[in-house]
Amino acid sequence: MAEFSNYKIALSAIGPLILLAIVIAFLMGPGTNFLEFGLVLPEIHIEQINFVDNEIQVIVRNTGPIDVNIVVADINDRIQPAAIEPDNHLTKFETALVRIPYDWNEGQPYNIGLTIDDGTRFEKSVDAASLKLEANIELIGYLGLIGFLIGIVPIMIGLLWFSFIQKLGSSKYKFFLAFTVGLLLFLAFDAIEEASEISQRHLSDIFNGQLLIMTVVILSFLILFSIGNSLIKKSQFSKISKPLAISLMIAVGIGFHNFGEGLAVGAAIAFGQVALSTFLIVGFAIHNTTEGFAIAAPMARTKAMVLRLVCLGLIAGTPAIFGTWIGGFSYSPFATVVFLSIGAGAIFQVVVSIIQYMREENENTLSNTSIILGIGLGLIVMYLTSILI
Amino acid sequence: MLMILIVVVSVSTLYFVIPAVSDAAVEPKTFLTHTGLAIQTTGDVIDPIGYTGETLEFDPESYLRDFDYGTVSELKDGTILREFTITARDDQVMEVSPGVYYNVWTFNGSVPGPTIRATEGDLVRVHFSNEGSKSHTMHFHGIHKAEMDGVFENVGPGGKFTYEFLAEPVGLHLYHCHVHPVEEHIAHGLYGAYIIDPKEGRAPADELVFILNGLDTDFDGENNFYGANTVPFYYQHHPIEITTNELIRAYVVNILEFDPVNNFHLHGTLFHHYPAGTDTVPSGFNDMLTMSQGEREILEFEYKYPGLYMFHAHNTEFSEKGWVGSFLAKDSEKNYSDEN
Repeated sequence: MAEFSNYKIALSAIGPLILLAIVIAFLMGPGTNFLEFGLVLPEIHIEQINFVDNEIQVIVRNTGPIDVNIVVADINDRIQPAAIEPDNHLTKFETALVRIPYDWNEGQPYNIGLTIDDGTRFEKSVDAASLKLEANIELIGYLGLIGFLIGIVPIMIGLLWFSFIQKLGSSKYKFFLAFTVGLLLFLAFDAIEEASEISQRHLSDIFNGQLLIMTVVILSFLILFSIGNSLIKKSQFSKISKPLAISLMIAVGIGFHNFGEGLAVGAAIAFGQVALSTFLIVGFAIHNTTEGFAIAAPMARTKAMVLRLVCLGLIAGTPAIFGTWIGGFSYSPFATVVFLSIGAGAIFQVVVSIIQYMREENENTLSNTSIILGIGLGLIVMYLTSILI
Repeated sequence: MLMILIVVVSVSTLYFVIPAVSDAAVEPKTFLTHTGLAIQTTGDVIDPIGYTGETLEFDPESYLRDFDYGTVSELKDGTILREFTITARDDQVMEVSPGVYYNVWTFNGSVPGPTIRATEGDLVRVHFSNEGSKSHTMHFHGIHKAEMDGVFENVGPGGKFTYEFLAEPVGLHLYHCHVHPVEEHIAHGLYGAYIIDPKEGRAPADELVFILNGLDTDFDGENNFYGANTVPFYYQHHPIEITTNELIRAYVVNILEFDPVNNFHLHGTLFHHYPAGTDTVPSGFNDMLTMSQGEREILEFEYKYPGLYMFHAHNTEFSEKGWVGSFLAKDSEKNYSDEN
């Protein structure tokens, strides 16, 4: 009897799917020409332009509904002979590398055009040409140092507030906990904004950038939320205290966030925006000090253990180094958007954990002047430091 | 469960995002750039060199020296009658440059249309039929009656019209479709040269026709390609063979759309030029000629030294988008077949 009803349930779940499959087969299957009206326009999207020695390299993707051939390459609207690898026929979603031999000039803007078989030209511009970075020990060290400076150093400095927070009274402590909530909320929105900017500028429309960001933010929130909850639950039965569990989750969340930021900084250096990246690095250094504070705050009620704090700082800061490397050597706008979104979701999770913790500490309510003031001030401080970036 | 979902989602995302990699190891090929740089690639070379013209049987090589004198007969009064049959179409797709397919509108199946040639005083009769899906006409430059102007008598799809006029005056003229929007009909390829020779003839020469045109393949009101006789870069990769110390007469017609000015620059020698070919006295001795839309010039020149000489638009944007070619001048006193 039970088996029979399970079978029925399964059938009732799969039934509509089967019907849907039949409808799709009717519309699109072989032999049907039901949907053969209207024009199908091919489309390609230039995803990356790299300047190497005596050559401009372009990564192009077929983002249209039909196969295309890429037949002409031009630089600044002047036709150039070029090579295309693996071949000039691109199926849907396929990418190819177009190599255009060209004696380009450093710092000069370039417009790269590719023409497909029906004569349509697609283009993308670069503000200032600069040599693509090649991996060598020196550069790995340099990028690693930058990752260290924007990730680990400021977080460690921020952690030094630990003893200050420890000495605070209850309401002041609440204020600073709320302050971290404000900081983190700002970070999350900052990451979403940056992700959507990158997706608009570098991702083809077919990726549905905004929806991709939303999906990844929510997924990463849900996953980390369930992990965090089980961690906090476990903390009740183990030696890990609840504040430590929360701090650990904050560190992990910030770690994801810093990975995304590292990608952005590495890419800025790779694309030769040196002046921009100097500001970016100084800005991040100031900005990220607050991250150390956020990690330290929940733990301030426990005993000070230097090693623990350092570990948490490393968890939060080290991903910036890897991010900088990856961003510098193989920048992928798609990966950057995804990781910035993961970081944002992770931070939302952290915010929820802290708020839960605060509610429990505050007789199940958040309506407390120091909490509201803290969140507001946290946002304002972050906004002001963000102007520096 | 959630983890499985995540894995499925990320794997399928990566499938789309990571570039499809061809696993076949291919022998690298080498190709030379315009500046002589040698590049090795395992992929395809995209360069407008390999034009074969198979699609529409248009051969810029033979077009160059191909003159249509019509079917000749003599009327009772001794006048020479030249009859031409011209068919307009607008459904053909031509590989205008290697890999680039463009819907050309044609007179007798090619862009440009045939070079119609008559002698001053001949009676020219053109049996025009329109096999296209739009109205078309033939508008000849020159002296003729208003009803033979090919402007007000639109010839609809399937229609016919006979144009008849005396060939006058002597010169290098032009014919093209004059149906509104004229820009569109010209840009798609409905034009050709119309030469009227003087009765006494011109000095013997190696005669060449250059129709300077462009192709707006993405219809944005700007030419994507420029050329002499349609195919971009064709004569650069297939130099026109001529002989030193032999008179070359070039019939140059500028039918470029969208760009108000085109020009012609010759390397290694200078030419005498005759605007519209109507006068016997040259207007100048130069290596540069600037022409507006619809302007024609007859150029006469010789090469003193053998070798490879470029000719191109000195508006280098045009030349770098295809309006560039070369003359290969061979020594008139040497027998080249021995060397090769």
